[in-house]
Amino acid sequence: MSDMDTLNCHISTQPHKFGIKMLKKLKETTIFLKSLRAEPLGAPAFICASSAIILLLLMLIFIVREGSQAFLNLGAELIIGAVWDTNAGRYGGLPLIYGSIIVVFVALAIAIPIGVASSIFISEILPHPLRDPIKSIIELLASIPSVIYGFIGLLFIAPRIASLFGLSTGTVALTASIILAIMSTPTIVGVAGETIAAVPKEYREAALALGATRWQMIKGIVLPASKSGILASILLGFGRAIGETVAVLMVAGNTAIIPSPPWNILSPVYTLTAAIAMQMGEAAVGSLEYSALFGLGLILFIIAFIVNTLADVVVTREKAKIRGAG
Amino acid sequence: MKAARIKEKIIFTIFGLATALCVAAFATIAAILLSGLGTIKLEHLTKSALQGGYFEMIIGTLYLLVGSAGIAGPIGLLAAIYLVEYAPRGRLTRVIDQAINNLAGVPSIVIGLFGYTFFCRQLGLGISLAAGWLTLTLMMLPIVIRGSEEAIKMVPKSFQEAALALGAPKWKAITSITLPAAAPGIITSILLGIARVAGETAAILFTSCVLVTRGLPKSPLEPIMALAFNLYVKIVALGEAPERVFGIALILFMIVVIFAAAAITFRVYYRRRQLWLR
Repeated sequence: MSDMDTLNCHISTQPHKFGIKMLKKLKETTIFLKSLRAEPLGAPAFICASSAIILLLLMLIFIVREGSQAFLNLGAELIIGAVWDTNAGRYGGLPLIYGSIIVVFVALAIAIPIGVASSIFISEILPHPLRDPIKSIIELLASIPSVIYGFIGLLFIAPRIASLFGLSTGTVALTASIILAIMSTPTIVGVAGETIAAVPKEYREAALALGATRWQMIKGIVLPASKSGILASILLGFGRAIGETVAVLMVAGNTAIIPSPPWNILSPVYTLTAAIAMQMGEAAVGSLEYSALFGLGLILFIIAFIVNTLADVVVTREKAKIRGAG
Repeated sequence: MKAARIKEKIIFTIFGLATALCVAAFATIAAILLSGLGTIKLEHLTKSALQGGYFEMIIGTLYLLVGSAGIAGPIGLLAAIYLVEYAPRGRLTRVIDQAINNLAGVPSIVIGLFGYTFFCRQLGLGISLAAGWLTLTLMMLPIVIRGSEEAIKMVPKSFQEAALALGAPKWKAITSITLPAAAPGIITSILLGIARVAGETAAILFTSCVLVTRGLPKSPLEPIMALAFNLYVKIVALGEAPERVFGIALILFMIVVIFAAAAITFRVYYRRRQLWLR
């Protein structure tokens, strides 16, 4: 009997609770909508802000739609197929994915140490009056268009790489990596610098009061406290580098072959972005090639989405931690 | 203790060198480009491309920038107002926030692909100035939203509260108190947005540009010439030697740097002038 009661109770309270929750949600929503209606600025402002979601979804839908033919016909070959040859009708994306990855990894191997060191130097060591000017110059470095980076790469870096390593041409993976390193360093400096500057003053003062040198303070206090921000800056630098198009394609050589040995960065490579930019012009709308290029676009979109979401999560968690500590 | 100090000196020197390298990179790029100053003549700026000048490319680039700033500016500002002043704490606001971050991270070539299928083909705009405006708006929007948000947040709450206490409705307090105080920051964000897309090539590659037009476009539905596009196509597709397109690279560099430097100086100047920011 008592068992029966509890069971009845259980059955009746569950939907009841659910109902209350729904009602509460509904009430919250109506209050929200009312508050927007009461303000002539509210509704248009809300629509503009939500446009970011709508645009992102539209982008996903249209890229998937145009790429669907390639997914259906090629399937996994678009990602793991080892031959990308338009004339032979082979659309294996592996050489392109590999090209993108190797160029970006070498670039980050250069950009991360330089970027992190610079951000520490600017926000911890550099005298105050010099901080704004130096930061401004690095910001200007970030604003230089990629086509100009490509131009500089061809004119200035590629010939030097060629003569340094005795190559017949300087348009190889390493040249692209150097250009990409210059392009992604400002992103790393900017984001990492911001988080380093956000470390509470009290932390530093406590360390210095205990007799630590400034380097010990930076190593023991500032860096651990801002490590998620630095991680986020690296993720964003990665995102910027993997999506870079024009600068890379102008200096990377554009040969869709995985170098042999694979770590040979002195051979030309072809990246995902370069393939899209170079081939979209020739691909007939609706052809398999056209669709395959959108497939590559989707791969890039997904990589960028993952990288940005990860950076977002890392930063949000960091903020919550600092708020909790402070 | 002494060893620790020496170690510190060495490490700081290395860090300083890293910073110097960044500054040197900018200086080198600027020096290489400015060395081409001799190759362009002033009259080329106003001469048609058909006669070896740059006129249509420069005007086309400015058309693109002004148009996309005209779309992204108001939308971005309203979005920022929503996020700072109206958005309730909750899941929807978090999703909007993440969507803006993700939009900022979409590679420009993917934005170009989308612009082509959606604006050019789906909406039927074709390869045109208007399609370029809309595509570049997608790139500018996150920068304007984030910058304006920052600027609005920096205005002390007490300014608005004073207006509200006098009986002004919230929208009135925002438009007549908060926004004027935040205006320099908002303008900075729009200038930064312009600088970001001024040299953008991948996004306009298939959406709005052609190599040569006969004169300036007569309507937004016509394709245009742009500096970045011309530089790219001349080197990559036509195989011209970099030395021969120096002029285009230099003009593009100057336009971008002028917008970016204007934004940065404007920001530094107003941070000093606005006493409540100290």
